[in-house]
Amino acid sequence: MTQPAGAPLIHVDQLSKRYGDRTVMSGVSFDVDTSEIVSVVGPSGCGKTTLLRCVAGLTPPSGGAVSIAGHVVTDPPEGVGVVFQHFGLFPWKTVSGNVGYGLTVRGMPRGETEPRVRELIGMVGLEGFEHSYPHQLSGGMQQRAGLARALAIEPRVLLMDEPFASLDAQTRDVLQLEMLRILDQRPTATIFVTHSIDEAVLMGDRVVILTGQPSTVHDVVDVGIPRPRGRGSVDSDRFRVVRDYLWTVVMKGQGQRRAEAGNNSVDRHSEGTAE
Amino acid sequence: MSATGRNLPAAAGALPEVRQGQRPSVMRMRLAPGRRAGGPNGPGEDSGVEAEAARRERTQVFLARVAAGLGILVLWQACAATLAPGYIARPLGILGQVPAVFGDQSFWSAAGSTLLAVVEGLIIAVVIGTVIGLIMGRLRDVDRALRLYVDSFYAMPLVALVPLLTVWFGYTPLTRLVVVVIEAVLPIIFSVAEGARSLPAQFTDVARTYRAPWWRVWAGIVLPASLPYLLGGIDLAIGRALVGAVVAEFIASLNGLGYYILFNVRSFQENRAMLALVLLVVFALAVRGLVSLFVRRELPWYRAG
Repeated sequence: MTQPAGAPLIHVDQLSKRYGDRTVMSGVSFDVDTSEIVSVVGPSGCGKTTLLRCVAGLTPPSGGAVSIAGHVVTDPPEGVGVVFQHFGLFPWKTVSGNVGYGLTVRGMPRGETEPRVRELIGMVGLEGFEHSYPHQLSGGMQQRAGLARALAIEPRVLLMDEPFASLDAQTRDVLQLEMLRILDQRPTATIFVTHSIDEAVLMGDRVVILTGQPSTVHDVVDVGIPRPRGRGSVDSDRFRVVRDYLWTVVMKGQGQRRAEAGNNSVDRHSEGTAE
Repeated sequence: MSATGRNLPAAAGALPEVRQGQRPSVMRMRLAPGRRAGGPNGPGEDSGVEAEAARRERTQVFLARVAAGLGILVLWQACAATLAPGYIARPLGILGQVPAVFGDQSFWSAAGSTLLAVVEGLIIAVVIGTVIGLIMGRLRDVDRALRLYVDSFYAMPLVALVPLLTVWFGYTPLTRLVVVVIEAVLPIIFSVAEGARSLPAQFTDVARTYRAPWWRVWAGIVLPASLPYLLGGIDLAIGRALVGAVVAEFIASLNGLGYYILFNVRSFQENRAMLALVLLVVFALAVRGLVSLFVRRELPWYRAG
C-alpha cells in the first residue's frame, strides 16, 4: 500500500492517552510532511514525551491513531530513528558499536556497517572517539553518538525527545546548529519535542503548541524563517514575533494549569470542560 | 543542496567541511578540552602527580596490612605458647610443618580434588544461575512462580541436605559436586535476577525502536547489562562453594582438603590442618582476584558507570 501523492508522511489523528483515570492528552491531531521539521512545545508534564512514544510505536494510544506513510502504527515501524533525552547509549558498547546498533540488529554484515558507521561518526564530529565508551564522553558527545545511531538507519522519520535538555547551555547551542546543518543535508520528516520555546522556533518549520490538562493542540504556528538556518536566524524579527507569541500562549496555559490545580478540591470536573 | 545530499549518501559526511567552511573543525577543537574536563577517565595534565600519590597510597596500604598480619601472628603465637597445650595450632608450628605437608603427595591430591570440584561446580552454577536469573528477572510470571522456592532454598541450611544427597548420589565426588552447585547457584540466581529486573527501560526502548529480534534483546542487552550483577553473584558464590565442598567431604568422607583437615585434627596434627585451611583461603582470594581483574579489563564501563 502506498500513500497517495501529497499526503503527509506522519498523520497524528485524534490521539489521546490515559494512564488509569488520568488523561494526559486528548484529541491531538497534526501532520508532518516529508522532510519537514515540526517542533512540539508545551510545559513540562504535558505529555509531549507520551505523544512521541505513541508515534514511535513504543506506547499504545488510548484513542485515535498515528499513521506513517499510510500505515497505522501499532509496533515500532521500520525506518524510524529516535533520539532520547538521556541518550540511551549502551554503556558496554563503544561509540562505533552504539552507532551501528540499528544496522547490526537488522543483520547487516560487518563489512557493510563499518563504512556507514565511519561516515556517520564523521558527520556528527566524533572522529577519533570510535573506540571510546560512553562514560568516557561528555554529555554533548554522547548525544552526538545518539544522533548518529538514529541517522545510521537512514530513517524517513526522526523523532527527537528533548534531545538537548540535559546538556549545558553552550553545548546545546552548538548541537542545535549542527542538527540544523545535518537535517539540511539529509532532509527527514522530524518531530522535535522540546520545552524550550527558543529551540522550538529555531528548529521547527512549524510549531505545535500543547496546552491544558489533558493537553490538546492549542495552535500550530508556521515559523516562516527560511532554511538553511543558522545563528543569524535567532536575530530576525520573524523569530522574535513567533517566539513572543509562543511565550504568551504557553505561559497562559501554565497559569491556567495552576489555577485548575488550585480549584481541584472544589470541582474536579472543571478540568475537562475548561477548554 | 538537499537534493545532492539525498542522492549521495556516501559522500554526505564529506560535504559539510567544504560547504560550511571552518565551522566543523572549530567545533572539533572545542570538543577536545571538553572531553578532558567531562570524561572521568580523561588524562589530566597533573597525571604524574596523581600517579605518585596513588603509588604512595598503595605502599601505605601494603605496610598497614603487613603490620596488622604480623601483629595477629605474634599475638596468636604468644597466647598459644603460654595458655594452650602443645597440640594446639600456632604460627611457628604451622611454619614447621610446611616442608612435610608440601612434600606430601596426599596433600596435593586432596587439594586438587577439592579445588577442581569447586571450579567445576562454579562453572555449572554460573551457567544454570545465569539462565534462571535472567528469566526470573525479565519474566514476571516465572518470578512469581519460582521466587518462593528459590527463597526457601536460600534460607535452608544446606548442610542438612548433604546426608540426603549422599543417599541419592552415593559417597562419591558427585555428591560434593551437587552440593557445590546448589550452594553456588543461589546467590548467582538472586544477583542476576536483580540485575535483569533493574535493566533501564530506555535500553529496551532503543532495542524496540530498531526492531531487534527477541534473542538479540536477551543476548545483546539483558545479558551484558546484568553482567556486573553476575560477577557480584560469583563473588558471593565462591565462599559458599568452598563451604559446600568442605562440608560434603566432612560428611561423605571424600578425598579432599575438608577430609584432610578432619583427619589431621583427629590425629592431633592441627598445624597440618591449618595449612589446608590457608590453601582454601588463598584459593578463594585468588578466584575473587581473577573476577575483579576481569571486571577491570573487560568491563571498563562498569566501574565508571
